[in-house]
Amino acid sequence: MKRHLVVGSALVALLVSLGIGQALLEKRVTAQTNGAAQAPRFEVDPSWPRPLPNGWYLGQTIGVGVDANDHVWIIHRSDSLDAAEAAADEGTGACCKKAPPIMEFDQQGNLLRHWGGKDGEGYQWPASNHGLQIDGKGNIWIGGNGNGNDGHVLKFTQDGKFLMQIGIKKQGLGPDSNSQDRFYLVAKVSLDNKNNEAYVADGYGNRRVVVLDMDTGKFKRYWGAYGNKPDDAAAAAAPRYTPGSTPSQQFRGPVHCADMSVDGLVYVCDRTSDRLQVFTREGKFVKEIFVEPDSLADGSTWDVAFSKDPQQKYLYLADGRNQKLHIFDRQSLTELTNFGEGGHYPGQFYSMHSIAVDSKGNLYTTETYQGRRVQKFVYKGLAPVTKKEQGTVWPKR
Amino acid sequence: MKRTLSVCAAAVIGMAIALAAQQAPRYEVNPFWPQPLPNHWVFGSITGVAVDAQDHVWVTHRGADSLEGNEKGMMANPPTSTKCCTAAPFILEFDSDGKLLANFGGPGQGYQWPQSPGGIAVDAKGNVWVTAAGLETPPPAGRGRATVDPDAVGPPGGGRGGRSDAAARGAEAGGARGDAAARGAAGRGRGAGAPAGPADAHVLKFDKAGKFLLQIGTPGKMEGPDSQTTLNRPAAVAVDTAANEVFVADSGNHRIVVFDSETGAYKRHWGAYGEKPTAAGGGPYDPGAPAARQFRDVTCVEIAKDGLVYVCDRSSNRLQVFQKDGMFVKEAVIAKDTRGVTVGGQFGAVSSAGSAWDIAFSSDPRQQLVFVADGHDKKVIILQRDTLAQVGGFGTGGRLAGQFLAVGSIAADSRGNVYTGEQHHGKRVQKWVRR
Repeated sequence: MKRHLVVGSALVALLVSLGIGQALLEKRVTAQTNGAAQAPRFEVDPSWPRPLPNGWYLGQTIGVGVDANDHVWIIHRSDSLDAAEAAADEGTGACCKKAPPIMEFDQQGNLLRHWGGKDGEGYQWPASNHGLQIDGKGNIWIGGNGNGNDGHVLKFTQDGKFLMQIGIKKQGLGPDSNSQDRFYLVAKVSLDNKNNEAYVADGYGNRRVVVLDMDTGKFKRYWGAYGNKPDDAAAAAAPRYTPGSTPSQQFRGPVHCADMSVDGLVYVCDRTSDRLQVFTREGKFVKEIFVEPDSLADGSTWDVAFSKDPQQKYLYLADGRNQKLHIFDRQSLTELTNFGEGGHYPGQFYSMHSIAVDSKGNLYTTETYQGRRVQKFVYKGLAPVTKKEQGTVWPKR
Repeated sequence: MKRTLSVCAAAVIGMAIALAAQQAPRYEVNPFWPQPLPNHWVFGSITGVAVDAQDHVWVTHRGADSLEGNEKGMMANPPTSTKCCTAAPFILEFDSDGKLLANFGGPGQGYQWPQSPGGIAVDAKGNVWVTAAGLETPPPAGRGRATVDPDAVGPPGGGRGGRSDAAARGAEAGGARGDAAARGAAGRGRGAGAPAGPADAHVLKFDKAGKFLLQIGTPGKMEGPDSQTTLNRPAAVAVDTAANEVFVADSGNHRIVVFDSETGAYKRHWGAYGEKPTAAGGGPYDPGAPAARQFRDVTCVEIAKDGLVYVCDRSSNRLQVFQKDGMFVKEAVIAKDTRGVTVGGQFGAVSSAGSAWDIAFSSDPRQQLVFVADGHDKKVIILQRDTLAQVGGFGTGGRLAGQFLAVGSIAADSRGNVYTGEQHHGKRVQKWVRR
């Protein structure tokens, strides 16, 4: 009897390890939903966050992260407000004022801490701050893409106390995708807490992913498209992306995200190539997909996030060209469904830029250019996919 | 005794204030109005909102001309996106549930479509009036619609306002390619970046189905504030259907001018305080200077049921009230210290000046309230109509539901709902319901 059990559980373990368990599970789910695949379903919460205090107004909102308390942190470009928006700062009207670039919101959408925007002892604030992530110790990492200036990333405590600057900010800086001590126009820094490594999406100027030691900032390794050695001259000479053309052997960039899943795969956004490349932690190329491959101009692959289940079964991809949040089955990278539409109403997007997921599976999106907001999409559980394109996801009434 | 009296008086005043505060209705936004537009349509800068006798909401906007490259990817050649977006038609009709019922607009036989639509009004017969409000400063020649990728690379050292354009120029050739090709491909109205046609100087009248009925004024022909046949960037109209008269807020001529609403024949005109308007207008606004005897920019005209005519002198921060014959009655200052700015953009300079952009009356029989769209301060101010005292308001600056950027048009329906339209990068019409 005992032996039987042991064999049984060994068999289960074997099946699971072969992925068969998962397949069986999916088969059962499919049967229950009459053949329709399941995917996370979301609805926008139009009353989150609450209006900002102090007459503050958001600029281009270009980074979002969620901390261990499910507080939502954003970064935006205060200086992107025009004179009509910042009328109170300019003394021409009663509203509004530039808000500090880094802001923390609780689950109810109340503004908590806010800081940043200026140089401090030992560090240089980016000419154009860009991207925000929070590591396992709660520290905040940001990049910067101020053209001709920003070659660094910064690490702060949640109170805004400076911890570390890696790289430099210097006027006249240019690309050097093989530098071992600085970056060029970093889009985002993602954190692998287990291995104490930071993944730098480097970026708008350089054409690579860089892996750092999270504590010392020491460069550990880096790679370009397909795991190739990055080559700035070749990248600069590469023709612009056209649908159906031979994929570029270099990142066209901006290298806009580099995020690691629980199973140690690194997902890299090569934005103007409309592609997502997948690597091992060591930078070995695994596979790539093209997303909305007809997209030109600023491209379709802006940011990724993973669903909250332990396996991270679903991959979310922010597409700021087509204003869609694409939902993929992460293992197969087949798209299950998408939502979103262009516009300024709740649940619509103007250049959706960054995304993050909280512990309950809720999704947060930020918009750059003239979107200038952070939105919350409430996770409503898994649901059979009935529409490939869901459009604007308002609450069901 | 004296002291008791003054205490008493203070108490009465206090009560009056409390009463006024209590009476001012409170509004909250309906974030799910209107229903999402079909066909990947998006609004451009919204310049006019009106409500008709059926409580249908009419909206006009500047269309493709006011959309940035990444808002109109489907209009680029080749398209930079097949999913987002393309300009909605210029004139749209919604029911009060936000369902899109009809649309029309754009060039047609017998009239000249505006470079930039301005205000919209629906008269008691159901005809739709649109003004050709023009651009104060058209887009710089040659710059056209170079794309935006302000996100691509921030400029050195930051800098505000114009940064998106600075970044767009050559910073990332990427977007520029697709979007520069968008020139002339707008499909309706003036092609984006196409040479500007004759300047806007006219008013158009259509029936509800979009059939052209009447044009007053001629594009490119501007003969000053004494002219009986020409206009200059008219911003709004109001129609007195019983008298067959259309009142035009003739902004560039610093006057109100009245025409026969059937024939377009001139009837009369007047300037601030009912005086003769001059071409110079009021000059730059200075909150410390005595009130100008001329209008600056006349951006609204509305006729109350009791026959009083309300006029917005936008950058003068005031409303002036007249009889229908132009006799001055009274005025109210909205936000004295509000000035304004002209903001450069890739679709031409946009003025954000002053606190009195547009008004609407409440729907009660006596029209006890006036709603003032204060675009530069990003809120709606509520006045008591008889005293013109400020008794409330709603909205704040921002891009979330219930917030504003450049709220420049406003209308109210018979059920007490209020609709607001936003210019500049606001590009929304929002519905506000009484709590």
